[in-house]
Order: sequence, then C-alpha cells, then structure tokens
Amino acid sequence: MLGIRTFTGAACAALLATSAALAQVPPADEKNPNEALPEKHAYTPYGEPIKLDQARKAAEAALAESTKRGWAMCIAVVAPSGDLVYFAKMDDCQYGSIAIAQHKARAAAKFRRPTLVFERLLGRGDYFSYLATLDDVIASRGGNPIVVNGKIIGAIGVSGGTGTQDDVISQAGLKAAQ
Amino acid sequence: MKMRPMLTLEDCKKISAAAEAEAKKNSWNVCIAILDDGGHLLHLARMDGATPANARIAVEKGRTAAETRRSTANWQERVGKRVELLRMPGVTPVQGGLPIVLDGTCVGAVGISGVQSHEDEQIAAAGIKALG
Repeated sequence: MLGIRTFTGAACAALLATSAALAQVPPADEKNPNEALPEKHAYTPYGEPIKLDQARKAAEAALAESTKRGWAMCIAVVAPSGDLVYFAKMDDCQYGSIAIAQHKARAAAKFRRPTLVFERLLGRGDYFSYLATLDDVIASRGGNPIVVNGKIIGAIGVSGGTGTQDDVISQAGLKAAQ
Repeated sequence: MKMRPMLTLEDCKKISAAAEAEAKKNSWNVCIAILDDGGHLLHLARMDGATPANARIAVEKGRTAAETRRSTANWQERVGKRVELLRMPGVTPVQGGLPIVLDGTCVGAVGISGVQSHEDEQIAAAGIKALG
C-alpha cells in the first residue's frame, strides 16, 4: 500500500513538473500521421437532396445486380443528412443487414466519403483506431456517397453479403443514380 | 406444423405503389413504410417533400401495428381512455399504422406519416387493398 502511494505521488509530481495545463496529454508521437496540420480542407459539397424517383432508380439497379448474381441484400438510399429516402430488403436477406445497410448509407452521407475509407484506415492500425470512437461511423465497405455535378445529393448503403459483395452492389446502384 | 404466409419484396412494392398513388391523387407528400410481422423494415419510400421526421414516424407506426397486431388508431383510442398505456414499450399510439392480416394471420404492417393522421391511415388502407 505504501509502495503504491509513493509511486502515485512521484508520477503526479513528474506530470505537474512538465506542464500544469497539459497534465493529462501524453507527448506527440512523430510517426503519427494525425499530428500533421493540413493547409487545405478538401471535401465534396452537399447539393439538393436526392428525389424519390432518383433514389428508386439507384436501388432498382442495385436490386437487379443482386438478383443477377443470386445475392440477397438490403439496399438503403438516404438524403445528405443521412435520413432514409428509399429502402428495400430482398427476400431472405439476413435480418442484421436491415440496420447495417441504413448505417452504411448514413455514414457515407454524413462523413462525405465511402465507408471503405474507415475500413481501410482502421485496418492500418493504432494511429487510426480513434475513428471507431467518432459518432455513427461504420467501418465496413458498402456505403458510398451519390455525387451528381460535383455535389453530394445522398448516399447508398448495401449489406447482406461479404463487404466486397456489398460494395459491388452499392457501386451498381451508384452508377444508375448518376 | 403451422405454415404462415410471408410478405415478399414484390408484395411490398405492390403495396407501396398503391399507397403512393393514393397519396399522389390527393397531392399529399408522405413516407410509406412496410414491415414484417416481427417489426423488421422490408420497404420504405419517402416522397419528395416528406420530412426526415416522417421517415422515422412511418417506421414506428408500422412497427407498432406489426408487433401488436392492431392499428395504431386503436392504440390512440385506448390511450385516450387509459393514459398509462403511453408507457407501453415500443408503442407509437398515433393513427396511420395498419396491420396486414391474411386469413386471420398478421403478416406485417404499413405505416404512413406526412399528412393528417386519418389521411395517413387512408393511404395505408389503399396500399393493403392492392395486395388483394
């Protein structure tokens, strides 16, 4: 007991000695790419939200591709805010995919990037594990923003197969929306 | 073994198209949600002009009707008499959700949100009617 107290006291004294304001922050790791400060902020702007007919067209193309390949999928199309515009669950698609398809679409819209970005970066390891702590992220491919005339009008999310199967179907829907 | 009928995606599209036609006929912009008997979302279409809130409410009305096997209008009426029913978990007691009943078996539900509650229910009924 005495040993632990002594150690805690010494650790506190050391931290206080370095900087009172940053007492809790560990030192920067120079190899961490997140320490860099980019000059510019590159992103695709949001546009007018996708119309139902457009969303349905994208989903129908995705459904047709799934049927052709014999895969049972869930397809979700959302507005830029991530709110549902169109959804379809194919017969016998797993129940878990109902929520995942919507989540992938929502994340792609809300973060303006394919969910594959999160999957790949998390896969790189420690420096990117913080991504899993961001609100409403899903690190699984199959969610893609729908970009028309340089603007994001919504996103499409697919779930039901493996990640790569989901993404192939998502891309098929994407193509029909453009 | 008891065999139960089950909604297919084709059935859902038929219901949704009829509901959308009923809404269009009246110049109403609504969200149409179709769920199975376990309250799982099978199909959703949000018409242009319907709000994000409509998308959430349509699903919740449909879930209530599917899981409890009764219309949300029935819930609304009973809540008026017994306010403690508001504490029922997972219940959205607002008219506009109808169960789909085939030969005495509930196979799912339709939930509508976007216009007045009785109009929402009118759209849901038109959708179910298309199932034949």
